[in-house]
Amino acid sequence: MTIDELRAKAAERQQTCSQIKKMIVSRLDLEIEPDWITDDQPLFGRGLELDSLDVLELYVAIEAEFGVALYDSEMAVFGSVSRLADEVNPALRAQG
Amino acid sequence: MVNVLAATHPEGTVYGEVGDVTVPLRFSAAPDALSQEYAALRERAAVLDLSGHRLIEITGPGAVEYAQRVLARDVEYLTSDRCMMSLVLDDAGQVVDQVLAFGREDGILLASSCGAGTRLLEHLRAQADDGIEIADRSPELVLVGLEGPYAWGVVGRLIDGELASLPFESVVETTWDDVDIVFARTGFTGEYGYQMIVPREAAAGLWSLSLEHARPAGQEALELAMLEVRQPMPRHEATPGATVIEIGANWLVDVTKEAFVGREAVLAAFESGTGRRTIGFTCADGVPAAGTRVMAGDQVIGEVVHAVHSVGLGTTLGLARVDRDLAAAGLRLSAGGVGVTTLTSPYIVPKSWSIPII
Repeated sequence: MTIDELRAKAAERQQTCSQIKKMIVSRLDLEIEPDWITDDQPLFGRGLELDSLDVLELYVAIEAEFGVALYDSEMAVFGSVSRLADEVNPALRAQG
Repeated sequence: MVNVLAATHPEGTVYGEVGDVTVPLRFSAAPDALSQEYAALRERAAVLDLSGHRLIEITGPGAVEYAQRVLARDVEYLTSDRCMMSLVLDDAGQVVDQVLAFGREDGILLASSCGAGTRLLEHLRAQADDGIEIADRSPELVLVGLEGPYAWGVVGRLIDGELASLPFESVVETTWDDVDIVFARTGFTGEYGYQMIVPREAAAGLWSLSLEHARPAGQEALELAMLEVRQPMPRHEATPGATVIEIGANWLVDVTKEAFVGREAVLAAFESGTGRRTIGFTCADGVPAAGTRVMAGDQVIGEVVHAVHSVGLGTTLGLARVDRDLAAAGLRLSAGGVGVTTLTSPYIVPKSWSIPII
């Protein structure tokens, strides 16, 4: 891949991550700018300190926003924003 | 600084210097020591010698106000039944240390990161004002940890099974063998984790009894497990000049807090939207040294921050700091002439995420 192609691939993931961050901040009414959340920080317990009620809220929000149902997924899909991005936009999993 | 638990460590323990302390890197010189200790952390339960984490007590009428100023997270309502991790920054927003802050009735108790106690203590004293006292409690107190998917079972055997299911970052004062200890549910590896603040004279006894139920894991296994869940490690990641934003440790800073040392610098770095960002990577060949240039084609886009062989992945795992527009998982880049692939965190999913405490 050329550097421009790599940038385009990175931008696609960053765009999905950005969309997820805005959704989290909006749905959970957090008092931070969405970009303050990093793509790789933990979300539950450590990190963003979300709890099980927040997970339920995010299940609903993700289905509404991305049309993806994660209800039966393992907790690992909530490991980080970037990991969630892999779930809601499977095209991102292809290596570049 | 001499390791206070050394007399209880097995013969053949391999020690190393981390900052200002001597710590057990591995508890055996056997070739498979790291993988065995790592397996204890990720598959069963490991006991951790955290005596290299300096315990610093801040007391006095101005203690909470002072802690609010020097810690990057909000500790105004950190009661004695809670603890939290926070960065400590200097005026330029550079990371001084990452601490675990315990709320106390008469102030706050900070556990430094491993080997960073002297630097942290100097910084805290330089920031001190009237109305507070800062005391190094490490001559009297020792931190011991338990982590692993079945660490909760060890807590039950050692102290009290009910403590195992405390909410994350809860703290209780309890007793072990008629000795007062502070018990916290917290950790570094994403597994079930617990830490105990123990009087120095009782630490060896607790350590030895823990070994009847759990295997000791040294600093190398602990740091590997931390890396795998993207738990920040200042001693590897806080390179000179790197901002909190570039390190990716935003979650250890609370920007909604109105004032703390380093806030303006961190906000300026965030709002500028420039600089590099940290991303995990793996590669099939070798372990690139920190500082190795990361390339996209023939262009330098960053450098390796820290890399090791990951027992869990069976290959190299590292962190690189690259140009912001290329800091994303799933890209094939190169470092030191070897192909690397950027990763999504966590790089290993902790077993504890799928095992209930029973």
